[in-house]
Amino acid sequence: MKKLSDKILIILFVLFIGGFGMAFFILPDNDFSEEENRYLQTFPDFGIDELINGDFTENMNSYYADQFPWRNGLVGIKGVCETIALKGENNGVLLGKGGQLAVRLFDAYKDRHTVVEDTDYFFSENILRAIDAVKKFEQNCDIPFTVMIPPRTVDVAKSAFLYPDELSERLQGLLDENLSDSASYLNISRILTDLYDSGEYVYYRTDHHWTTKGAYVAYSEIMKKWGMEDLVIDESEFKKETVTDFYGTTWSRAGYKFISPDSLEIWTLPDDDLYVTTVYDSKNTVDDKGNTVTEKVSVKSFTSFYNREYLLKKDKYSVFLDGTHAEMTVTYEGNREGEREKILIAKDSFANPVVTFLARHFDIVVVNLASGMCDLTAYAQEYDCDRILVLYNLENLVENDNLANIK
Amino acid sequence: MVFSSLIFLFAFLPLTLAVYFAVPFRFRNIALFVVSLIFYGWGEPLYIIVMIFSIVTAYAFGFPIGKYRDVNKKKARFFLCLSLILNLAMLAFFKYYNFFAENLSLLPFLEGKISTIDEISFTLFGKNYTTDFSLPVGISFYTFQIMSYSIDLYRNDASLQKNFISFGTYVTLFPQLVAGPIVRYKDIDDQLSERKESVEKFASGVRRFCCGLGKKILLGDAASALYEYFKSADGFEGSVIGAWMIMICFTFHIYFDFSGYSDMAIGLGRMFGFEFVENFNYPYISKSITEFWRRWHISLSTWFKEYVYIPLGGNRRGWAIQLRNIAIVWFLTGFWHGAGWNYIIWGVYFGAVLILEKTFLLKLYDRLPVAVCHIWTLFLIGIGWIIFAFTDMSSGIDIIGKLFGIGATSFASRTALYQILRALPLILVCAVGSTPYPRKLLSRFVVKYKWTSWAASAGAVMILIVCTAYLADSTFSPFLYFIF
Repeated sequence: MKKLSDKILIILFVLFIGGFGMAFFILPDNDFSEEENRYLQTFPDFGIDELINGDFTENMNSYYADQFPWRNGLVGIKGVCETIALKGENNGVLLGKGGQLAVRLFDAYKDRHTVVEDTDYFFSENILRAIDAVKKFEQNCDIPFTVMIPPRTVDVAKSAFLYPDELSERLQGLLDENLSDSASYLNISRILTDLYDSGEYVYYRTDHHWTTKGAYVAYSEIMKKWGMEDLVIDESEFKKETVTDFYGTTWSRAGYKFISPDSLEIWTLPDDDLYVTTVYDSKNTVDDKGNTVTEKVSVKSFTSFYNREYLLKKDKYSVFLDGTHAEMTVTYEGNREGEREKILIAKDSFANPVVTFLARHFDIVVVNLASGMCDLTAYAQEYDCDRILVLYNLENLVENDNLANIK
Repeated sequence: MVFSSLIFLFAFLPLTLAVYFAVPFRFRNIALFVVSLIFYGWGEPLYIIVMIFSIVTAYAFGFPIGKYRDVNKKKARFFLCLSLILNLAMLAFFKYYNFFAENLSLLPFLEGKISTIDEISFTLFGKNYTTDFSLPVGISFYTFQIMSYSIDLYRNDASLQKNFISFGTYVTLFPQLVAGPIVRYKDIDDQLSERKESVEKFASGVRRFCCGLGKKILLGDAASALYEYFKSADGFEGSVIGAWMIMICFTFHIYFDFSGYSDMAIGLGRMFGFEFVENFNYPYISKSITEFWRRWHISLSTWFKEYVYIPLGGNRRGWAIQLRNIAIVWFLTGFWHGAGWNYIIWGVYFGAVLILEKTFLLKLYDRLPVAVCHIWTLFLIGIGWIIFAFTDMSSGIDIIGKLFGIGATSFASRTALYQILRALPLILVCAVGSTPYPRKLLSRFVVKYKWTSWAASAGAVMILIVCTAYLADSTFSPFLYFIF
C-alpha cells in the first residue's frame, strides 16, 4: 500500500514537471500579453558575449516565465488561494464588497532619486510642490485656469473595503487644506464619494478609471465652475451604447479571475460624426546644435471621439480618443454658430471621456501631462487657447512630479 | 539558478532526472557534475571559474596531503595550510576585499590609499569584457565544503579522492551548492562511490522537496512581503506595533526561507540517492540561545565546532581559553554571514549571550517557568534578526528603540492594524509551522490510518501546483499604459 502511494506520487510529480516542460516546448510563443498590456520576451539572442555577461541566461529566465503554459490560469489560482488565506487583497489590490477592486499600493515619488515602491503612503513634499506650482501658475496665468484632481478608486470606494480611509483622508486633507483658498481648484472628491455611496456606478470595479457616468459628473462640475451650468447637456439626451465584458487594469493586476466584468458605456448624440479627433505622437530627437527637438510622428484623424476597434480588445477604455497620445485636438466641423472657445487640457487618461463631453461646447487641444508635457503657457500661446484645464488624477500626483513642473 | 523558479522546476529538473536515470550508475556522477556546473553557470557564467579554481587546487593538494599524512605530519600540515590558504584567499578577496578596503581607508594614515573595486575587466579570445565585482553565489558554502575535504583527509577521517569527477560532484552537487546544508566530506565520502536510489527514497525526496518549496514560497515569501511593507511604512510613520511586526515578520521570513531551501536540498538529494544531514530542528521552540544554536543551521554550527572550536582547544583547556574560543567562533560565524559590521555584531551578540548563559543564565532559566524562557529566548532571537536584517546599523538600532516606544510617532496606526489583521492567518500558520506538532500529528495518523500516506502524497502535489501558481504570478507584471 505504502509502496503504491509512493509510486503514484512519483508518477504525478514527474508528469507534472515533465508535462509543463513539454507543453512549454510544444506550444507556440506569444508576442503580446493582452492581460498585462505588454510585449513578452521571445527567445533571446545567443552568442559568446551574451553568455559571458549573463544576458542570455537572464533573458532565458524571463523567456521561460513569460511563455509559461497556462499562465493566466495559474495567476487565477493564486488569486483564489490568497482569498482562501483571508488576505483580503492580492498584488496590492483590495477586494471589496460587490466585487469592487481598488489598487491600494502605489509607488510614492519623492524626487528623481527616490521612489518608494508598493506603499500606501506618499511624500507630502512632492504633493506640496505640485500645489505650489498650481498656485504660482494661477497667479501668472492671464486666461481662466482650472485644476481638477480626480480621486483614486481607493479614495472613492472606501466604503467597500475593510481597509481604513486614514491615508486617503490624509492625502485629500493635504489638498483641501492647501488649495481651499485657490480660485482655480475644483474639488470633486466628495461629490464622487457621495455618489458612489448612494449606489451610483461612477468608478469601474475592475479598472482604475471613472466610468462614463463619473466623467459626466466631472463635466457638469467643470461647466458649473465656469458659469455655464445652463449649457450642460442633460444625461437623458444621450444614447448609451454598452459593452458588458470590460476587464480593466486593476483586474489584471489583482489576479482575481472570479470577479464579474464591468460594463463600459459610450454616450453618443446624433451629431457625433461632425466632430473630428486628431491624435499625434511625438518623438524627442537631438538636433545638430545639441538641442532637444520634439517632432510629431504618426498623425491619425477620425470622425467623432471613438476608436471602436478597442471594444473588441481587452483594453476597452482606449475607445475614448484612441487611448493615450502625446497631443490631440478635437474640433467641430459642422455648422459653427458663432465662435467656439478653445480650451487647453493638460491631463492624464482620466480626461479622455470628459473630453467627449466638453467637445460639445469647445474646440479642444489636449496635451499629455502624464508624459511630462508641462510647459502649458507655451502650448496655450501656440494654439491660441482661451482657457486652461488641468485634469490629473491623485495616483499620478503621488507617483510623479509632472504637476509640480507646470509653467 | 534558484529552486523556486519556473525554469528550474519545469526545465532543469525534469531534464536532469531524465539524464541521470537514463545513464548507468558509473556515469551518474559525471552527469551530476555536468548538470551542476550548468546550474551554477546559469546564474554566474563568469564566477564559475573561481569555483573551478578552488576545486582544482583542493583536489591537487589532496595528493600530497594523502601521501604525507601518515609518514610526515609536518609536510602534510604544510600542504594542508597551502590548500586552505588558497581557498580562503578566494573567499577573502571576493567576499571581504571591499569591506576591508572601505574600513581601512577610514584610518587616518591610510586615507585614500586603498580603493574599492567596482568591476573587473579581463580579456578573453582577444575581446575585452567588464563585469561587476560582486559576491559569487554560494562561495561561502562551497569554500567550507572544500576545506572540510582537506581537513578530513589530513586528519585521517577520510580517504584520498583520486577521482576528479567524484570530488567535483561533491563540491558542486547542485542541491546543496548555493545555500547548504554544508556537507562535510567524511559524511558523504562513501555515498559518492556507492549509493542506492529507490522508490521510497525518491518519493520521500519529492515530499520533502514540495514541503520545502511550500515553506519558502507560501510562508517565507509571504512573511517577507509583510516585512517589506512594515519596513517601508516605518520610513513614513514609525509606530511601536510596526516595529514589532518588522521583527516578527523577519523572524518567520528567514526561518521559512532558509529551512525551506534546506528541505528542498535534502529532498533533491534523496531523489538522487544521497542522504544529507539535517540543517534545522525547530529552532524557534528553543528555551535558550544555547539550544537555539543547536537547532539552527546545524551544518554550519557543526562545521565551526569541528574545524575551529575543537582545534582551538574547545572547552578542555580551562575557562579562559574556552571563553576566548567562543568569542573567536562567534566573531567568525557573524563575519561568515556577510561582509558588514552588523553581521559581526550579530555574531558577537550571540557569542556574548552564550557566554552569559554558560556562566549563570542557564541555571537561572531552570528555576523560571518554561513559558518565560521560551518568550525570552524568542525575544533575544528577534533582536538578533533586527541586527542581522539592517545592514545600516543606525536603522536597526532605531527599530529596536521603537519596540519600546523610543522614537515612535504613535503606538499603532489604523492602517498598521488593518495590515496585522490580514496578516494574522499567515502568522498563525507560521507560528504553528515552526513547532514539531504538525509533524507529530501526521506521524501519529500515519501509524493509525493507511490513507494518511495517500493524503501526504496528495498534499505534496497540491503544494506543488499552488507554488507553481505563485511563481507564475510573481512574473506577471501588468503594464499600466496610462502613466506614459
